[in-house]
Amino acid sequence: MQYIYPIIKADYLQRTRSYSFLITLAITIFMAYSFIPAQDASYTTLSANGYKGAYNSAWVGYVSGIMTTIMLSYFGFLLINSGIKKDIDTEVGLIIATTPISNFKYLLSKQLSNYLVLLTIAGITFCVSIGVFLIRGTGYPFILSNFILPYMFFAVPALFVVAALAVVGEVFLGKRNILQYIVYFMLCGICMGFINSKSEASASGLFDPFGLSLITKSVTNHINTHYAENIKGVSFGFIFNGQKVYKPFVWEGLNWSALFIGSRLVWMAMGFALVYISSLFFHRFDFKQALSAKKSEKEAASISLAQPMTKPIGMNKAALPSLTFNYGIYPLVKTEFLLLIRQGNKWLWLLNSGLWIAMCFVPLNIAHAYLLPILLFLQVTRWSELATKEKTNRVHYFAYASYKPLQRMLPAQILAGIVLAVSLCLPVIIRCALAAGIYAIVDVINGAIFLVLLAVTLGILTGGKKLFEVFFFLLTYSVLNKLPVTDYLGSLPHQNMNLGLLLVLALNLVLLLISFVARRYQTRHL
Amino acid sequence: MPFIKKNLFLSLAVTFVVNVVSYHHIILYLYMALSITNLSKQYNAEKTAVSNFSLTINKGVLGLLGPNGAGKSTLMKIIATISKPSGGSLLLDDIDIVQNPNSIRKVLGYLPQDFGVYPNLNAYEFLEYIAAMKGVGGKGLRQRIDLLLEGVNLTADAKRPIGSYSGGMKQRIGIAQALLNDPKVLIFDEPTVGLDPEERMRFRQLIADLAQDSIIILSSHIVSDIETIADEVAIMQSGKLITHAPQHEIIKQAEGRIFEVLLNNSELNAFKHQHKVIDTARQADQIKVRYISTSGSAAPSSIPVTATLEDAYLFLTQNNS
Repeated sequence: MQYIYPIIKADYLQRTRSYSFLITLAITIFMAYSFIPAQDASYTTLSANGYKGAYNSAWVGYVSGIMTTIMLSYFGFLLINSGIKKDIDTEVGLIIATTPISNFKYLLSKQLSNYLVLLTIAGITFCVSIGVFLIRGTGYPFILSNFILPYMFFAVPALFVVAALAVVGEVFLGKRNILQYIVYFMLCGICMGFINSKSEASASGLFDPFGLSLITKSVTNHINTHYAENIKGVSFGFIFNGQKVYKPFVWEGLNWSALFIGSRLVWMAMGFALVYISSLFFHRFDFKQALSAKKSEKEAASISLAQPMTKPIGMNKAALPSLTFNYGIYPLVKTEFLLLIRQGNKWLWLLNSGLWIAMCFVPLNIAHAYLLPILLFLQVTRWSELATKEKTNRVHYFAYASYKPLQRMLPAQILAGIVLAVSLCLPVIIRCALAAGIYAIVDVINGAIFLVLLAVTLGILTGGKKLFEVFFFLLTYSVLNKLPVTDYLGSLPHQNMNLGLLLVLALNLVLLLISFVARRYQTRHL
Repeated sequence: MPFIKKNLFLSLAVTFVVNVVSYHHIILYLYMALSITNLSKQYNAEKTAVSNFSLTINKGVLGLLGPNGAGKSTLMKIIATISKPSGGSLLLDDIDIVQNPNSIRKVLGYLPQDFGVYPNLNAYEFLEYIAAMKGVGGKGLRQRIDLLLEGVNLTADAKRPIGSYSGGMKQRIGIAQALLNDPKVLIFDEPTVGLDPEERMRFRQLIADLAQDSIIILSSHIVSDIETIADEVAIMQSGKLITHAPQHEIIKQAEGRIFEVLLNNSELNAFKHQHKVIDTARQADQIKVRYISTSGSAAPSSIPVTATLEDAYLFLTQNNS
């Protein structure tokens, strides 16, 4: 353990010493504040068939703990699933591979640094929850244990499992980020299904890594017993119902059973076990192992062709054709588009095609409100690379020293992104056109442009992809949950459609301005 | 007659103007000079990368030498317009390239020290992309890329993703991209890294060809590369210019200071404390030591030897520190 401590420390510091992490923390504070909605807010985060808890220590502490567990289990995965990839990109992995550290210890150190990053964020939401309780103070006494215990028994074990799954995902699915997200979110969906399950095993939390089935049972029992109701379960997450009037009830928290605490330890042990199993399959930065025999032969053949230096550097300058200058941006747009298309796993295009075709046939409102945001989210790694790839691939030296990079390069990237985004939206656009929904067409195109500009701006400002990826996940999550304020594609009915449209348009202009100003600075300050 | 006279005068005037305009480029390229005056780059109160640097660079090859952290790469980035100086001026002929960076970008070829590539593109696509950035297009582009790829011996691998290239092959792609726009100002930061000896030799020949009508600034840790390529040498240390002169004049500064002596194994450590040892070579049971005498007086039994650029570089940087 003493040997892996410095690795964990270095990895943790490397991840947290960045502007994007600072911005993530700022978003965390905002999110943590929104976990406990004001009494007159148009949403709730935990509701039980029209009932909502009074804001005592137990309710505020538990809701904050639960929401932190759920939200961090989802978007936290996106935040941490690149620890090994970073070592591959920076080639530090090659150095690590030559050291005596075992695969298990290396992966364990990655898991633990993942875990520390998540705990740092959870620590902030914990502090904010206490602050919110004091701000929203409704006269109930402050009981510290009601804040500590939900974090200790919900968030701490669940995040340990998330940290382990991030390592497992990187070992088995490597750079196929989208596939990792799909598999992970499916897994989360299955686990969330256990929360409202009535079986004894699930109530004890054995099959529930989040441990939230315990609270579900407690809240439903409390309401059914005290208010003569027969509610089946509770809902977690941001639930928007307008300014619905909830019936208040006073809930005093949970009685923690030894079985439940034991089940948390079992889940944590499972996390360890998963990391151990992954270590048996870990590539240890030797990627040739992962190639199929056929591919290996092909690769070997091409390498053997490349090796001999039959004709070294040297050229007849006079033979070069005369130069023709063309300062238009079309060739740049073309290559940027090509790079966008080629990014990621080509098999993902099968899924994209399936969704694209489905959008032509399912009811328009479903295509617009569900399939389109999902299809756009599946391209998250393409968008996030749009304005960051030159830096991550260290091509920015060429790009910034080229002729008018600000007037040519950046517009080309934005245009290529818009072309792809609008192409993906095409079935909805055409169907809206057929239905004479001019507003909807403008909304969708406006939204597609917003998405591209958001990716470009966040990429330029942070120099990395993570912040946009997490933000876009939250945005998609909110859109799918019909949060009106996040409806960037205009799929929800609004009281004032023009206002929403103008708001997105204004946002687009602001993002465009920020991206140009920031890139202008970057091109001269390497 | 007055009509013919007037027309003749007009025609001569037009011809004169046209010639002046069309030869402007030729004149510009013939007498092209890059003037650096009192250039400085300060990152913060404690860190100054380039300090009060002045130099005029004409056509030919300028070799830039200096220890790590001397400010060579920063200077090159400033000339390549990707870093803004904190003070001073940088003129390409009479054009201020700090204020008008696009004026040099049109005629610039830049090979950075730690550049990367897009791994998903093949060599041809990558060069096409860089050409688009440089504004090079037209029908001749394909042939130009073909010839450049042939010149750097990458034709056979042009259709393979660059991600699968070796370090030397990537370096050759870097060299090819720098030459895409027939640059008049070429900046090479450690260009021979990753090249094998044969490639290095050919690269030197290429530079010699290009130096006929371009300003070439080249930095390298391999002094022998500079020695065989550069017409003039500038040595930097701690962000400052120590010296700038033709090679032979720089070497002259170390003449009479370089000696060789045969020592026993046991004497070597004590000798190192008294003299700056440049090189050692085992000879039978003794060691031949090449060293710099900073005071000018040699150790007993020493033989004076002809100084090389490497000797002069070590002598000057040691003297300065």
